Amino acid sequence: MGVAAASASPSAPAVITNTTSINIGNLQSWWLDWMTKSPTPFAERMTLFWHGHFTSDYRKVGTNSPAIYWQNLTWRRMALGDLKSMLLRVTPDLAMLRYLDLAASTGRAPNENYARELLELFTMGVGNYTEDDVKAAAKALAGWRLPMRTEPTAQTGIFDTRRAYAAPVTFLGKTGTFNTEGVIDTILAQDATASFIVRDLVTSFVTPSPSDAYVARLADRFRRSRYDTKQLMRDIFTSPEFVAPETFRSLIKSPTDFMVSAAKALGATNLSGTIRQYGSTLGQNMFDPPSVAGWGDGASWISSNTILQRANFVTAALGTMRTTPSAARAHERHLDSVLAQGTVNELNLARDDRSRWFAVFASPEFQLK
Amino acid sequence: MGTTDLSRLSRRDFLKNGFVFGAGAAGLAAGYAAVPDVFARAVYGGKRDGVMNDRVLVMIQLAGGADGLQTVIPLQDPKLRALRPQLSQAAGTALPLDQNFGLNRSMRGIKTLWDQGKVAIVHGVGYPQPNYSHFDSIRIWETGDPMRRQQDGWLGKTIVANYDSQGHPLVGCACGSSEVPGALRDLDATLSVVNGQNTFKFNGTDAERAMGVIYNGTPGIYGALFDTSVFSARDTMARLRMAREKYTPRAAYNDNVNLVYSSRNQLASALQLAAQLIISGVGAKILHVTLGGFDTHDQQMARVDSLMGYVDGAISAFHTDLAAYGMADRVLIATWSEFGRRAAETANGGTDHGAAAPMFLIGDGVKGGFYGEAPSLSALDRGGSLKYTVDFRQVYQEILESHLKVDAQEVLGKPFERIAAIRSA
Repeated sequence: MGVAAASASPSAPAVITNTTSINIGNLQSWWLDWMTKSPTPFAERMTLFWHGHFTSDYRKVGTNSPAIYWQNLTWRRMALGDLKSMLLRVTPDLAMLRYLDLAASTGRAPNENYARELLELFTMGVGNYTEDDVKAAAKALAGWRLPMRTEPTAQTGIFDTRRAYAAPVTFLGKTGTFNTEGVIDTILAQDATASFIVRDLVTSFVTPSPSDAYVARLADRFRRSRYDTKQLMRDIFTSPEFVAPETFRSLIKSPTDFMVSAAKALGATNLSGTIRQYGSTLGQNMFDPPSVAGWGDGASWISSNTILQRANFVTAALGTMRTTPSAARAHERHLDSVLAQGTVNELNLARDDRSRWFAVFASPEFQLK
Repeated sequence: MGTTDLSRLSRRDFLKNGFVFGAGAAGLAAGYAAVPDVFARAVYGGKRDGVMNDRVLVMIQLAGGADGLQTVIPLQDPKLRALRPQLSQAAGTALPLDQNFGLNRSMRGIKTLWDQGKVAIVHGVGYPQPNYSHFDSIRIWETGDPMRRQQDGWLGKTIVANYDSQGHPLVGCACGSSEVPGALRDLDATLSVVNGQNTFKFNGTDAERAMGVIYNGTPGIYGALFDTSVFSARDTMARLRMAREKYTPRAAYNDNVNLVYSSRNQLASALQLAAQLIISGVGAKILHVTLGGFDTHDQQMARVDSLMGYVDGAISAFHTDLAAYGMADRVLIATWSEFGRRAAETANGGTDHGAAAPMFLIGDGVKGGFYGEAPSLSALDRGGSLKYTVDFRQVYQEILESHLKVDAQEVLGKPFERIAAIRSA
């Protein structure tokens, strides 16, 4: 797997200043298209993971600036970065400053939104800090602002000491004057942080119910590696749990996983429009997460509505293709030859390649990973 | 099928026996029987033996933490101005309900219903030791458990305990959503999720038949979820076809509204779908719709005004529609949100996460007026939030016992003091 920084990058729309407007539909298509074509698909998978973890949505961030697009470039560039660099980068990220209101927070009137989600959703998880810690972090993080009209080339927020909080606070048991890096270092010194990140990754890549021992083992090495996510991902993929029978097909593919894997199986290169259209129907519209917690996972992806629309996506995807590749061995390549009776029955009834591809992609096996 | 008593069949029996709807135009595959009429009789049979009455509940989730003080606005309390120099201006334009409180100026439709005695406002709804995390507090409201020990949603439990023997997925339906909201979630509950009524169908001539073949006894931890979802989808399609034929809207539903940040959900369309399911008589009992965008850390004045205007318009149309069909007396509309907002405003005209907030109960079966005690602006908790005066489970209990007429304790685990907002009839 490629080093993050060396991962291929999609040809980028030319954006010069932080006031250049973007078209969100084009941006979605651009990314989805790249997901189906990139020679380094793992970088895209990690970019999607971080997009859901350190999430922002275009509705609040707005499209009168490239902020949400730049955030995407950031997660691709840092896809396997170290957590401290990521936290230092995301805090003054232009999209994040708007999305969680840190740009509106000042030492005199702190806004808790970013501080709370930094602790709850980005690093430690609820239950590992107090309400007073949230208030202290909000004070300590205050001071970032968005670039002004006279600063059109700034690509991150600008720290203005006049907006900051000058007095000491008590944060996670430490009393002192914290700057942003001090807040992040203090968070990284907490045991909860490594476990929280590990659990998030493992439940996205391995199993919905990891054992505490598995999480602790990975978290311990993650901590000792100074939060190197590249090593963490290597640890995850080489762990016995990753290939254990119990974790086989224990996760439900997200809509994007599902649609992109179908497009790649078909070798279809023109499906980004169809994938984009079905993204919101299936519950995963890029740059538009349902909440600040990003997208849900597991069983929440499947309902009467989404299972129906997953089948409709398959129909639509196959409909865009003049000819389909042979499906004779599709169940071996894409379903590991491990099939439920229902899928076997439909494959035996299928009279042509299209019907066979439909059965493969619409099968319960293909919804799982 | 023979002489099976259909009113006793559960969803699982239907799955096991492979009874599937909707094969109609596509023709029947061997082994499947199209049984909508018989199935419908089973449901109405259930109604006759008293398992079901004609009451319907529609829960409207205002996601993100909806501010109470800019919705039901204190008109006399000088503290409001001190806490909210900018946002307190809403008091000047409020629609007075009595001398102490006024509704947000964009809620003219609900004000009209209030004047007709059809709106109950429960003050200060919350729970002990408020949780300021969206996700924790949403889960607390969804499960009805501030201790966060419960997994299943209170509405899902209600369905399982009271209606699931009828085995039909529109008993509980999330309208205008693509996923099951936590309040409806229960592994044993049969549910539908209908994002849009016109798109809820299989495209392609053979897809429905193929899905019926594929999803039949699916093994694995998600097998039942998959099979039930496909079964529910096919049953729901058949019922939606029926519902479309029996319903034309008698009110103007409008989703073309100006919001500060555009909305992910179409509230008016979702409520129109709810009206269709109720009015066409396909057996809907508990419906859930969501509108997001209430996490107003900034620009709250304009955001709450426009969001509540959207809510007001959608609810007004929904009530008008139901009333035109003579059904407004059996449908209860209730709003909920994971928390209210901090009493003091932030520098950028927003508010941080808070605690107690009012709930609205709307319908012809409601005894209009105020309930509970409005939290004092002079006695905030140490985080600066309004202290709750009514436990949200008191309101749940009233909804369950007095409106749906089911056993509340079975769902909530213990009895709560009544909030007598539903007329006994």
